[in-house]
Amino acid sequence: MSEQSHYSSNRPDKTDESSKNIVYSTDPGDYYYAGVNVPCQNACPAFTNVPAYIRCVYEQRYARSYELNKGVNLFPGVLGRICSRPCEKKCRHGEPELGQPVGICHIKRSAADLRDPRLSYKEEVVPTLGKRICIVGAGPAGLAAAHDLSAVGFDVTVLEALEEPGGMLRYGIPEFRLPRAVLKSEIAAALRVGVTLKTGVRVGTDVSIDQLLGEYDAVLIAAGCYVSKPLEIPGEQFVGVHSGLQFVIDVASGRAPSLGKEVLVMGAGFTAFDCARLALRLGADTSTLCLRGTERDLRVTEEEIVEAKREGVKIQGLMLSTRITGSGKVEGVEFVRTRPGELLPNGRRGMTPIEGSEFVLPADSVIVAIGQGSEPLASPGDKDERGVLKADSITFSASVPKLYATGDFMTGPTTVIESIARGRQAAERIAEDLTGMKFRQWAVRIEEANITDRERSWDFIAPRRMPTLNPMGYRLKSTELEVELGFNRDDALEESKRCYLCYLHYEIDITRCIYCRYCIDVAPRDCIKLVKEVITNEMGGITGFVETTKWREVNAVVIDNSRCIRCGECLRVCPVDCISVSKVELVERVLLAGRN
Amino acid sequence: MAQEHCVIIGNGPAANQAALTLRENSPDMLITLVGQEPFPHYRPHLLPDYISGKLSENDLYVSPTEFYKRSGIKVRLGQQVVNIDFCSRELALSHKEIISFDGLIIACGGRQRIPERMQVFEDLMLTLKTPADAAVWIDRLTQVDSVLIVGGDLTSLSLTKALLSLKKRVFFMLNEDSFWPVPLGTEVAQQVRLRLMEKGVEVLESGRIRRVARISDVRLEVETDWETFKVGILGVFYGMVPDVKFLARSGLDIDRGILVDEHLRTRFDLVYAAGDCAQVYHPGIKDYWVSIGYENAISLGKVAALNLLGGMYAVETAPSSIFTVDGIVVNTSWWLEF
Repeated sequence: MSEQSHYSSNRPDKTDESSKNIVYSTDPGDYYYAGVNVPCQNACPAFTNVPAYIRCVYEQRYARSYELNKGVNLFPGVLGRICSRPCEKKCRHGEPELGQPVGICHIKRSAADLRDPRLSYKEEVVPTLGKRICIVGAGPAGLAAAHDLSAVGFDVTVLEALEEPGGMLRYGIPEFRLPRAVLKSEIAAALRVGVTLKTGVRVGTDVSIDQLLGEYDAVLIAAGCYVSKPLEIPGEQFVGVHSGLQFVIDVASGRAPSLGKEVLVMGAGFTAFDCARLALRLGADTSTLCLRGTERDLRVTEEEIVEAKREGVKIQGLMLSTRITGSGKVEGVEFVRTRPGELLPNGRRGMTPIEGSEFVLPADSVIVAIGQGSEPLASPGDKDERGVLKADSITFSASVPKLYATGDFMTGPTTVIESIARGRQAAERIAEDLTGMKFRQWAVRIEEANITDRERSWDFIAPRRMPTLNPMGYRLKSTELEVELGFNRDDALEESKRCYLCYLHYEIDITRCIYCRYCIDVAPRDCIKLVKEVITNEMGGITGFVETTKWREVNAVVIDNSRCIRCGECLRVCPVDCISVSKVELVERVLLAGRN
Repeated sequence: MAQEHCVIIGNGPAANQAALTLRENSPDMLITLVGQEPFPHYRPHLLPDYISGKLSENDLYVSPTEFYKRSGIKVRLGQQVVNIDFCSRELALSHKEIISFDGLIIACGGRQRIPERMQVFEDLMLTLKTPADAAVWIDRLTQVDSVLIVGGDLTSLSLTKALLSLKKRVFFMLNEDSFWPVPLGTEVAQQVRLRLMEKGVEVLESGRIRRVARISDVRLEVETDWETFKVGILGVFYGMVPDVKFLARSGLDIDRGILVDEHLRTRFDLVYAAGDCAQVYHPGIKDYWVSIGYENAISLGKVAALNLLGGMYAVETAPSSIFTVDGIVVNTSWWLEF
């Protein structure tokens, strides 16, 4: 299959649009349907159209797959390596008795890796709107906002305090996980729409927010979270205690500290894992992650845990640090054991210390990676108790005109994909505030589809493992060698076959159905139901069915698309051809009216 | 609980003891035992003697089928639980059957632990946990004359003895992972080394395995930190880990095993865990521990069943068959018996 030499925008294939009967719906019931029935897309903060881009990889249309990603998440090559993968947690293939989730993130990376590098992503040049916007911070949120605002005609300047753009992507994620060349290339592509980038400019020191508000039509603070949370235990000031984030930044900046032989890392997130894995690369004999909860509570992927362990990282759970031992220099950490308590309002399990369970682990260095917060910036507007500017979570507006905040700076630490999504949302809001016009709109695109080439045997394909550098070889000799090597074409194809393509909607036309029930017999799951009533909500979305086993009460045979695995078996056996398939997908449309 | 349905997941010593205890104390209760393996209840510690030919396969099995019929215990073998829903009190089997329960005892045991860095060579290694594993050993031993044992646990020394009785050349690699979960301290390592060498085992004090490759049907090439050599079979014995991955999303508290209190209670009413899959806080060592050993499993199975029936028995924190090495309490009858 060949692809066009240029491809453009995040809109559907224009060649497809003209020849097919396609409807764009903004009916709340259709939004609800797409949210419930395409769980991967709904779980993605940026609403990436996962089934569509996986289907493109299956069709070996890698550039189109990349384009579908880039249109909404901006950095497919980056996210294909470091995304927290909320989509995979919701993947229907991972439901009980259905196996394991599709390797969505790996497929995303495949689109970036396997696309023809000669194909360029073309974005339309638009006339200027005559409005100037300043964005503080060139991290994922800031870059996403800058791209979107510039792409529709705003004059955007990004101020970055550090030497290079990327924020946490550049300084907070080690190179063995995210090669700098990939990052640089995708940042350059995001800025190419006309964004002016100024690095080495620290807002609050080199220029004040008041000055910026005087010069620009709007100022968006997207300065991220760079203040590490302390453990707040005695001994934290000892030599040998490092903040996790600062440690990762120092390594990324070529200023790696000496750690000694035994390293303890406090924390349960990706930064903690990065610290533990970097410690081994910097020569530590042992690197131990110490968790309050259990390994099952970790907020990282299972692959991350396996790779860390393969490298030699030890993980010890159910322990709470109470003090750092030593006299001026770290000698160890005293812990108490914990036991799981009740669920906290944030959904996490509370941990209760066990009295009399104190013990000490020796350490030459302790790295504290338990989270971070935003850095207070001198600015007008309401602040929180830490002095950080407050902004509305819907409008992104501060309490003073023209000032906005977004990303982790506004919400506290989140994931890269959440930051990108919030950056884009803030951009949309600012654009609307400054012009009174909408530039983008999410709609449900409905198209007849005849994709029944999925084979039932594909549901039993084992997940493809991401190839990695041998941990017993030279993997640990460098902080820069990328560990994950990416799928080849065959692996990408096999993994893409595993996707059920939940954007396909199966429906029985009950005016033609003869109630033979062949479809029910062949369905591998209880997805086709005899019902006497369909329950809907106020939006018109289907929320449930009243099933019946009494034949005289049956009013319809329906396909429950939230249970359906799109195997197509029902379609194949239907003797009267009363089952139809359509493609129902949430897409972002660029509104040309926005520039009229 | 009379007239109610208790499901026991597992078919090892803890599970069977739990079933037996329930039946003894509640004659009317419906009891279903769901075992993932297709074999009847067997004694895993006898597998080395089965491999050496000292015992027949029938000698491995504990209870004949008639026992379960007589006791009114429904046994489902070769059926895998893939999910438990504690709200509806149902469990799902891999063939999509749903089973309701009133009380549940999870005694699903352990699986062979293979360190993550070795998992890429998994296809080239043999382990020994089930009669099926033993059958593979018996078949392969007819074709090779040498075996390299790596790691060390309850089974490995008994197997070594069995291999010696079959006149096989046995290499034993001692390293930091040996005798998990006990760290191999200098004193213990010396004792183990001497004991092995007395028996004619060639002890390799090597670092870690870096590479394993098959060079023929009956020959493997093993590269360690310091040397490369050829051997017929690579046997891996790094102990067991609780086989609880299928419970990850169930809502149970899972660490290495299922976290339970001293009464083996889980977070959910009338749901208990026992045997190699239960993880209990041990005040003596100020740490959580997972019981290992046949006798301990039987003891825990009994406690779980009695407590399910309304008792408040606590697990013994220091059963007679365990002792302390380097601050960690383990059942060590395996190496005393060697």
